Amino acid sequence: MMETLDGTEWDVVILGTGFAESLLALSLSRSGKRILHLDKNDYYGGDEAALSLSEAEAWASRFAEDAPQCRFSKASVTKPAASEAEHGNQLSSSRAYSLALAPHIIYARSNLVPALVSSRSHSQLDFQAVGSWFVVGSSADSSQVQQRLIRVPSGREDVFQDKSFDLKAKRSLMKFLRFVAAYEDQPDVWEGSRQLPFSIFLEQKFGLPASSHEPILALTMSQASAGSTSTEHALPSIARHLRSLGIFGPGFGAVLPKWGGLAEIAQVACRACAVGGGVYVLNKSIKSMTPAHDDSGPSLELSDGEKLSTTWLCGSVDDSSALRLGTNATPSSAYSTSRSISIVSSPLPSLFPPTSEGGVAPAGAVVVVPSSDASEPPVHMFVHTSDAGECPMNQSVIYSSIAMPHDSGLPHLERAVASLLGAVREQPSPQVLWSLRYQQQHADFEHSLMNAQEGVIVLSSLSCDLVLEDSSLDKVKIAWQKITGESENAFMNFDPREGANDEDD
Amino acid sequence: MTDSAATPAPKPSSSVKLVLLGEAAVGKSSLVLRFVNNDFQPNKEPTIGAAFLTQKCQLPNRTIKFEIWDTAGQERFASLAPMYYRNAQSALVVYDITKPSSLVKAKHWVAELQRQASPGIVIALVGNKLDLCEDDSTEDSQNDENAEGHEEEAVRKVSTAEAKAYAEEESLLFFETSAKTGHNVSEVFTAIANTIPETSLKGPRAGAGGGTQAAISGGQDSSRVNLTARGGDGGAKEGCAC
Ligand SMILES: Cc1cc2nc3c(=O)[nH]c(=O)nc-3n(C[C@H](O)[C@H](O)[C@H](O)COP(=O)(O)OP(=O)(O)OC[C@H]3O[C@@H](n4cnc5c(N)ncnc54)[C@H](O)[C@@H]3O)c2cc1C
Ligand SMILES: Nc1nc2c(ncn2[C@@H]2O[C@H](COP(=O)(O)OP(=O)(O)OP(=O)(O)O)[C@@H](O)[C@H]2O)c(=O)[nH]1
Ligand SMILES: [Mg+2]
Repeated sequence: MMETLDGTEWDVVILGTGFAESLLALSLSRSGKRILHLDKNDYYGGDEAALSLSEAEAWASRFAEDAPQCRFSKASVTKPAASEAEHGNQLSSSRAYSLALAPHIIYARSNLVPALVSSRSHSQLDFQAVGSWFVVGSSADSSQVQQRLIRVPSGREDVFQDKSFDLKAKRSLMKFLRFVAAYEDQPDVWEGSRQLPFSIFLEQKFGLPASSHEPILALTMSQASAGSTSTEHALPSIARHLRSLGIFGPGFGAVLPKWGGLAEIAQVACRACAVGGGVYVLNKSIKSMTPAHDDSGPSLELSDGEKLSTTWLCGSVDDSSALRLGTNATPSSAYSTSRSISIVSSPLPSLFPPTSEGGVAPAGAVVVVPSSDASEPPVHMFVHTSDAGECPMNQSVIYSSIAMPHDSGLPHLERAVASLLGAVREQPSPQVLWSLRYQQQHADFEHSLMNAQEGVIVLSSLSCDLVLEDSSLDKVKIAWQKITGESENAFMNFDPREGANDEDD
Repeated sequence: MTDSAATPAPKPSSSVKLVLLGEAAVGKSSLVLRFVNNDFQPNKEPTIGAAFLTQKCQLPNRTIKFEIWDTAGQERFASLAPMYYRNAQSALVVYDITKPSSLVKAKHWVAELQRQASPGIVIALVGNKLDLCEDDSTEDSQNDENAEGHEEEAVRKVSTAEAKAYAEEESLLFFETSAKTGHNVSEVFTAIANTIPETSLKGPRAGAGGGTQAAISGGQDSSRVNLTARGGDGGAKEGCAC
């Protein structure tokens, strides 16, 4: 029937199939609106895609340029050692991998979780536990620098049972953990220290020894340097961690989506919109937009000349210059993060102790490598087992990042990966089989959301945060409310579909 | 700890993601309707976008829960299918034995699956509407009940031999079915269930790469977190959910 989009009319045109755009599509999937969902790429997921090896290599050459104003730049792929043949653990075929551009962790208290459940998308998804947090510390006794993994206790019981603690430190730590659990009710303890570096606060208010600061800071998931992580930022983050513990089972509080991070959630969301009748077209972008006037919404011209009209045009600012035209947007701030994805020749079992006796087996671990210089940011690593569906058995994937431009950040990432692989003390020593490195830029267009033209809704792209922030979904909700005019408790609240029995709850 | 001995262990249960592909009107939705509800609608409306259904299949030693994605053959922009065959463990590629063009389209889908889908995907090639040329397949002709489709256009245009040879070449399962009479329909699904290697069946939505390349590990029951378990009393026990 309709093979061309020329002359078509839509209620909503969504540009891009990244996380936010796809969740918007999901939220509108039962609205009865005529939805056209376009992506300029020939794959789904946009900035949050999951890639096979050959896709990742193509992606790297596409973003190889030194173009710091772009979302991604300076991408390159390396395949280090050729000496793997000895112990036989080599790269598998390209499609044995599904590498996540967005390997975010999702805390149990995240607002995404109830939204996935009430929209009945959760039964299409597999979530796995992010089990342990580690800090890589170097104990520089005499001449030799030894890397050592310190497991951060995942809760009060853990601290309590830890025999290596001296009683005084244990008491201080317990006192601190009790305080964080209800810090909002005790403003007298911390209000005056809002701007104070968090380490100083820990020392002054709780007498915690310097050696305990790094494990505590690790729980904040803050990408700022220790020196610039303020008390007012650290406390809510640690509280979020502690309050999420045990919600889905004992011994863990965060999850990861199987099969490639946020890409999988985006994909499931698009499927739901297609089931609702949404039309999907890959390889298609917008050439120009004529703003809304009088009673008609924006009209669009697509890359191959087709013209169409819509009531609403939605997308992220980065996705298309056409959208940028629709706003008078200049970023209010911008920063760069250096990242790498490394495929490792070992499943690194020591990073995945059970979450609890008989509990779920973790598929993710968090490893933080603090800088010895308090003004320098730490390196964060997410380590995923093959259970996460991103690599073959007997291998693992390390996602590393540091809040620095790539040129200065990359050496930190490489050192961090090397020190982690050394600290696990395995023989033969685990090797990096393949690695993708790139720079990610986040430009904040926050205010332009308000200034967007009539009929245009700007969805800001995800920040470079490591944890999926509630604000990501909140922005989708605002967009959904603009379009539907419904009250917020109807957001993502769907009845079961005919034929799909959700019996497995 | 106390009740482990008493009750006999239930059959292990696993989920299998299956996607249906094929030209418009070959009977994909009708096959699913027959398999899931044992029903047939003579004038089934074209699928819009896609549909999702589930159905269990009992094997002697385990239960398979099919999570079925039925796509629209009318698909206008060739952009939908990739989101459904991503991570699918099996695919049913359907053609209409009275319509040669539909086999051409089926071959196109098989090629795309082999190029793009999970490495170990199990593909079944299915020639549907066998009832329209009943005489050449079954002895007991159903006293001319095939009135709906007029006799003239209802002759076989794709020979069993041709399709079967192609299926063998590409290592596909092969069946000729009728969604209308139900002939061979459950057999297709049972064959798929039996072909999916046990190693990739450990958990709900197990490995993307089953089969020879158990490349992507089969996910294990023991690593799946149940998002609907709240409360932290260890109620997040799963694995026995369905
Ligand atoms: C939230 C939080 C969780 C913490 N969890 C732990 C914990 O689980 N275990 C812990 O020891 N400290 C823990 N600490 C405290 C802090 O990590 C210790 O001060 C640190 O282990 C001491 O290391 P160091 O390099 O400063 O001293 P070092 O002089 O290197 O170590 C002191 C001695 O303790 C031993 N040791 C250090 N870490 C460990 C370990 N993980 N297991 C066994 N022996 C060890 C060393 O071998 C050495 O004999 C925690 C602190 C916080 C804030
Ligand atoms: N005689 C006969 N008719 C069938 C059979 N299967 C399907 N049909 C008819 O063929 C028409 C199309 O069937 P559908 O199941 O809707 O086909 P589809 O492949 O899902 O079509 P799309 O959703 O458009 O891709 C309907 O009128 C069905 O009743 C069959 O086995 N025998
Ligand atoms: Mg159909």
